Amino acid sequence: MTHPWPVAITGLGCICAAGTDLARCMESLYGGRRAPEASTRFTSSHPTRFPVFEVPGFAEPPELLRTSALGLHAAREALADAGLDLETLRGLRVGVCVGTTVGSAMNNEPFCRDYRAGLDPDLEPIERIMRSNPAAAIAREFELTGPCQTVVNACASGTDAVGLAASWIRGGICDLAIAGGADELGRITYNGFISLMITDDSPCKPFDKNRKGLNLGEGAGMLVLESEELRSRRGVRARSYLLGYGSACDAHHLTAPKPDGEGLRYAIAEALSCCGTPAEAVSFVNAHGTGTPDNDRVESRVLADLLPGVPFLSTKGYTGHTLGAAGAIEAVFTVACLERGMIPGSAGFSTADPDLGGTPVQACTGISGTVALSESLAFGGNNSVILLGKRGAA
Amino acid sequence: MMRITVKGIGVTGGFGCGVADLALALEGGVGRVTELTVPSAGGELRLPAFRAETGRLEEFVPKRTLRRIDHYSKMGLLGAYLALQDGGVLGSDLSRMGVVVASGYGATATTFAFLDSIIGDGDICASPTHFANSVHNSAAANISIMLGAKGPSLTVSQFDMSVPSALVSARQWLAEGRVDTVLFGAIDELSDLIGYLQHRRRGPQQHRAISPLAFERESSIIGEGAAFLLLTAKDSGPAYCTIDAVETGSLYRGKLSLPHDALMLLGADGRKELGDRYLDTVPGRSRVACYAPIYGSMPAGAAFDLAAAALVLQNGKAYPIPGAAGCGMDGIAVPLETERVCSLRLAGSHEYASLTMSRG
Repeated sequence: MTHPWPVAITGLGCICAAGTDLARCMESLYGGRRAPEASTRFTSSHPTRFPVFEVPGFAEPPELLRTSALGLHAAREALADAGLDLETLRGLRVGVCVGTTVGSAMNNEPFCRDYRAGLDPDLEPIERIMRSNPAAAIAREFELTGPCQTVVNACASGTDAVGLAASWIRGGICDLAIAGGADELGRITYNGFISLMITDDSPCKPFDKNRKGLNLGEGAGMLVLESEELRSRRGVRARSYLLGYGSACDAHHLTAPKPDGEGLRYAIAEALSCCGTPAEAVSFVNAHGTGTPDNDRVESRVLADLLPGVPFLSTKGYTGHTLGAAGAIEAVFTVACLERGMIPGSAGFSTADPDLGGTPVQACTGISGTVALSESLAFGGNNSVILLGKRGAA
Repeated sequence: MMRITVKGIGVTGGFGCGVADLALALEGGVGRVTELTVPSAGGELRLPAFRAETGRLEEFVPKRTLRRIDHYSKMGLLGAYLALQDGGVLGSDLSRMGVVVASGYGATATTFAFLDSIIGDGDICASPTHFANSVHNSAAANISIMLGAKGPSLTVSQFDMSVPSALVSARQWLAEGRVDTVLFGAIDELSDLIGYLQHRRRGPQQHRAISPLAFERESSIIGEGAAFLLLTAKDSGPAYCTIDAVETGSLYRGKLSLPHDALMLLGADGRKELGDRYLDTVPGRSRVACYAPIYGSMPAGAAFDLAAAALVLQNGKAYPIPGAAGCGMDGIAVPLETERVCSLRLAGSHEYASLTMSRG
């Protein structure tokens, strides 16, 4: 049995450098505020101090990875927004689907450093990793009984987690799902992205002619998805609906997008086809827009071909690239923008690049439509797209 | 629930390479335990381990092309090619195929090699090649690139529950018609650090065989390998079996409902801490089998269990449990006719997965 699209979204939660909840994040976005700085949480012997987007004032408990703590923080906000308490949750079959890149990796640097030095290091950092799988940590916290999945599709993880959770709801596998993404900043990803030479040593400039790369960020975004049957029974409103999900692999290169954007084109087409939504109905696109030369070139050209004239922006100028959390945070922002009828300017953009397919919006812009796309491109050639909007909007 | 058909199997592990080697090992009831040597503060540790070879990959991919691909991805590639070959679709149009990979720990050797590049030589010497290949979805990406598979790609890392969790989504792709087939597999890799952690977390490793049903003692032996299945929603043509139900989640209250008429294929792999949970969960008088002694203790073992169950159902007879004599449950010690298998895997204090398969 597979229920038709759409799938209701009844709760949202978000934490990132732009704010510790969704309301604060949207204030920052609409206010054009961003403050990337050198990390206060770790040091590096690299001669250049690349700016990052840290969540200020957030302290994780010692027993959990910061990634999972960020995920739990956003999940609590989303559940409260959906009007769900522990008692209600325990009467339901609830799934958890969370995207991450570092949240399930066995890569504790101090432990490995001591081991390499011939010591017998304390096992606690490893035990912390073992109990911090992001989806499992949320399921355990709320004693949730449904399926639980940590998606590690690199930078598309958050978008895929939302799309897959919707699939579970449609398949009757669970009544409700907490879906999203979470990732923390750390030395390993920091040094890794610098080594690939795709990091900007100044605040990132997505889609700008002078873009030099990404700035890393951290955070989490969570959505509560519900079956229509449950939503009706609870008598709650849907903030929005997931109208479609598309995903395709470039099968081209481990770290670079396919120049013709074939996988992204397919993913967009698939997402639109789920509810039969015409391309003309899309009112804006929350693009992946990392600020790397390759990503922005491919993505803007595909958008120009498939969705000509549709306004697009990147919110990574406010959050940094939060990797496995990015797709989920951006899905949450997309819903909030649809509700407000306005999208923020694409922070960091100032100079058009004739090599790109178009230019992003530069200031807060009103939108009249009710449907929007949020998309993610990732290492491994993964391209994932979700379509969000009002029920029947297509 | 929609049934999934298992059309092909591709495996590499401590028992050898390919479905025929797995069948032989199951029939013989013997695992090929070798050694993993890892450095430690007290000197070199020599641990029992199940190692996987990838030499046969050169039957499918030119050696030159494999130069920059690490052992983790090579195991995945070999499992993938063997499953496609076994399913009779190697060289066919794969545009409607999805790729799903589950892994408990990902590319651990490459991950540690990246850390080594920083620890040993400083941040400025971080290796971009190691970083790119340490990303969890690197194997799925390499599989898609080599095969030209442009459908959706998913990698799941949920420690012990990676395989059943990933199977939930693979089945949905088929149910929704998003793809026609799914190349579904699991990979786990041995490395110095995984070996060292086995030693630190589980104590001295004197045993040379896993005794999966001797729940009162630790007998796990780490393993590595890849197990891939070619899955489809269509059930025409030859197939091993069908997967009829996939139940996974956490149990905080009540008892798990399990089929009474199925052979219970337990994911027990010698880890002492899960013994009581298996004893509490498996219904009394169940017929029980366990094949971890053939391929070792690892999160990807759940996919090897699926491959073993498929062979059991194809043959109509369950293989005896290696070393079943004296086991604490009613483990089968002689070949036993069966038409249904329930693969049961438990993890932590509450997590479970039960995958029910039949001859179709």
